[in-house]
Parts: sequence; structure tokens; C-alpha cells
Amino acid sequence: MKLQHHLGGLEGLDAPLDFEKRVFVQEWEKRIFGIHAAMMGLSASLRDAVPGYDMDAVPTAFATTWTWADLRKGAEAMNPFAYFQYRYYEKWLGGITGYFVEQGYITQEELDAAIARYRAAELPERAEPLIDEQVLRYLRVGDTPRRGPATPSFAVGDPVLVADPPASDHTRLPGYLRGHTGRVERVFEGNYAYFCSTGPDGLGDPVPVYIVRFEPGELWGGTTEANAGPLFAELYETYLGAP
Amino acid sequence: MTAEFGYSADREEASAAQVRALEALLIEKGIITSGTVDKVLGYFESEMTPLNGRKIVVKAWTDPEFAELVVRDTPAAVAQLDLPIGMAGAEGEHLAAVANGPGVHNVVICTLCSCFPWPVLGLPPYWYKDPVFRSRAAREPRVVLAELGVPIPDDTEVRVWDSSGHSRWFVIPERPAGTDGMSDDELAALVTTESMMGVALAGASR
Repeated sequence: MKLQHHLGGLEGLDAPLDFEKRVFVQEWEKRIFGIHAAMMGLSASLRDAVPGYDMDAVPTAFATTWTWADLRKGAEAMNPFAYFQYRYYEKWLGGITGYFVEQGYITQEELDAAIARYRAAELPERAEPLIDEQVLRYLRVGDTPRRGPATPSFAVGDPVLVADPPASDHTRLPGYLRGHTGRVERVFEGNYAYFCSTGPDGLGDPVPVYIVRFEPGELWGGTTEANAGPLFAELYETYLGAP
Repeated sequence: MTAEFGYSADREEASAAQVRALEALLIEKGIITSGTVDKVLGYFESEMTPLNGRKIVVKAWTDPEFAELVVRDTPAAVAQLDLPIGMAGAEGEHLAAVANGPGVHNVVICTLCSCFPWPVLGLPPYWYKDPVFRSRAAREPRVVLAELGVPIPDDTEVRVWDSSGHSRWFVIPERPAGTDGMSDDELAALVTTESMMGVALAGASR
């Protein structure tokens, strides 16, 4: 069980909220966001994407897959104290740096040397328009997970019980919903795949997706706030069963 | 949460040096170019900004047919407007809107990560990504809203939307009273990112 899978509804965080409206609070954060977006736009997984990207024509040395699933897996694998300790883009920086080392693109020694070298030096000059064009093409066109017509087992109004699959290194099932009963509010058109298999958690292959309505007392019991309203979650059919 | 943790004195400087070294190595290795990161940032600074969301909201406020369509088939409604190319691109592949109105107030959250409708609102602000907000807004949205300066009447239903699937949700805030004679530009100025995620009201200065 990972704290990161069970953040929704976690009690005891009563300190005032940090209503920080900026997207980036340090200039360096912009750079790691840009690197992440570039990796998504150059990911080998786009070879199978619906828009039909011609990745063979893109002269990048990036030959592996990087999707939201990879970034999220990294965040979900963190020590939960560190997850709270580090700011959003600090987690990205750690996860993305670790990925490049683990995948063998760079070594820790190279990184250490580059940290020393580039404190003063200008960034290297290297132009390759086809790389930048692919990254921008990805940002404009995207990577829809929709695959084929919907094959729903449930209809609007049906009661559904949220499953409790084994803890895994990655999930799209919010922990606070596990074992609770809701009602189907909407059935989406089409089936939806996920970036990767999440193993025993059950995502990957295209499945129907629903909006499920949960009554607040069902989720929160005695800690339900006064005059509470419903909560709606978007759930893959993998996570749902008949009550 | 920062009060609970100790940090090294060179926290930001070390991160800045690390990301600079990483970018340099990725350029040296032929993974990206010296212009890739700037081009990505330029795309979000000039085209994928909350201005797009403001235009969608103003259209919904001024055109009842559009207001109906934008919640029923958000991508089709967004495609009708003169917005930058890419509204159905990264993190906009499946846009979905919910509308506030008399008796209904919607709040969009993402308890597992930070799913956000990039083409409509640009990149997510820090409050949205904060684990404390994500945990509390799921269970006690009224308390959170009151803390943020948005008291919700007892007889208004607060609906929370957890972005756990493929859709990227945003809110059409309620049009403020007393804005009947305003131009589209004047109306757009009343709409903030926060109001389009449901943690502020349109027209409120906070």
C-alpha cells in the first residue's frame, strides 16, 4: 500500500492551504517541464499512437518509452515522506534524471561532471529541426487513448462496487474509492487503453470508462462534512464489479 | 508543509545546476536540440494559456446553445471557436466541462497526480498539485472553499470531480451578476484559472 495511492481524503493535514497560483516558482522548474514534454513527444510509444507519428523520420537518440505512466510510477515509488517534502518539479527532476541514468543514456559520473562544467559554460549548440517539429507536433496532436467502440458491462444508473486489486507500482484507482459502492452516472463513448500494463492492478488493454457517482457518506462515514455533495470519479471498467 | 522538513541551504541552486547539466547532456547525446526546451515553453507561454479557457467561458455565458453543447460534447464545442491549433492535443485529447449555476458548484481535483486541461488552461498552478489540497478537497471541499474565500450556501450542492481517467475536466463558472452590458473582453477579464477549476468565483478579485 502506497500513501500516494491514498492521498484523497487523508486526514490530519489541517494546516492552511498554500494557495500558490504560479505554475513555476523557480526558473529552473521550466527546464525540467520542457525536458519532460520533449520526452513525451519523442517517446517510442508514439509509434503505436492513433495519430500515426513517423518516428523513423525523427533523428533523436531517444529510443525508449516515456509517458505519464513512467512519471507517475516514479512519484508513486517515492518514500512517502519525501513525496510530501519535495516540491512538484523537484520530484520530476529526480524521476527524470533517474530514468536517463537507469536507461543508460547518461551515467552518474557524466552528470556530476556536467553539473560542474555547466555552472559557467553555455549550453551546447545543436540544431535538428525535425526533433523540435516532432515535439511540437505531439503537443498539438496528442496521444488519445481511445481505441474502438465501447463494450460496456454497466449502464447509466447501475450500482457498481469498486474493486480492491493488489497494490501495484502504478494505479489509476484512487485509494479512497476501494470497496465502496457508487452508481454509474455516464458511460463514455469508446474504449480506452492505458499507456502500459499495470500488472495485477489491471490496466492496459482498451476497456470502457465510466463516471461513477459516490454519495459522500458512503466514502467518508463519520468524517463527512456538513451539507456534503456527491463525488464523481472517472473509472476504468477493470476497477468495477457488480455489488 | 515546508515547516515540517529540513532542506539543504543550496536546495534551489543544486536543482538549477542539475537540470542545466541534464539539458546539456541530452543535447550532447542527440536526444533533444539546444532549442527544444525553449520551443516547448514558448508553446505554453503564447498559445496554450488560460486565455483559451476564458474565451470558452465567455462564449458559454453569451450563447445558450453553446452553453448546452460545452457540457454535453466539450470537444465539439471547443472546436467551434477560433482558438490555437492543438486544443485536442496533449492533455486536451478528451476535454470535459461541467457548469456551475444556481444551486450547483463544481470543483475539479486530481487526487492521484495533477491531470489538468493544458490547452484550455495552460499548465497547472502549484495549489492544484499540492498534496494537502488534493487530500482535503476530496473529503471536505466546502471547508477548503471557505478557506480559499469561497463560502458556498448550504443549499448549493458541491460536486467534486476526481480526474482519475482519460478526461481533462474544467468548470464553466457562473456569470457574475451585474455584468449584462459588458463586452466579451470585459467578461473575459472576470475569469481566472482558479474559477475554471472551481476554487474561485468568476469576478472575484482573490
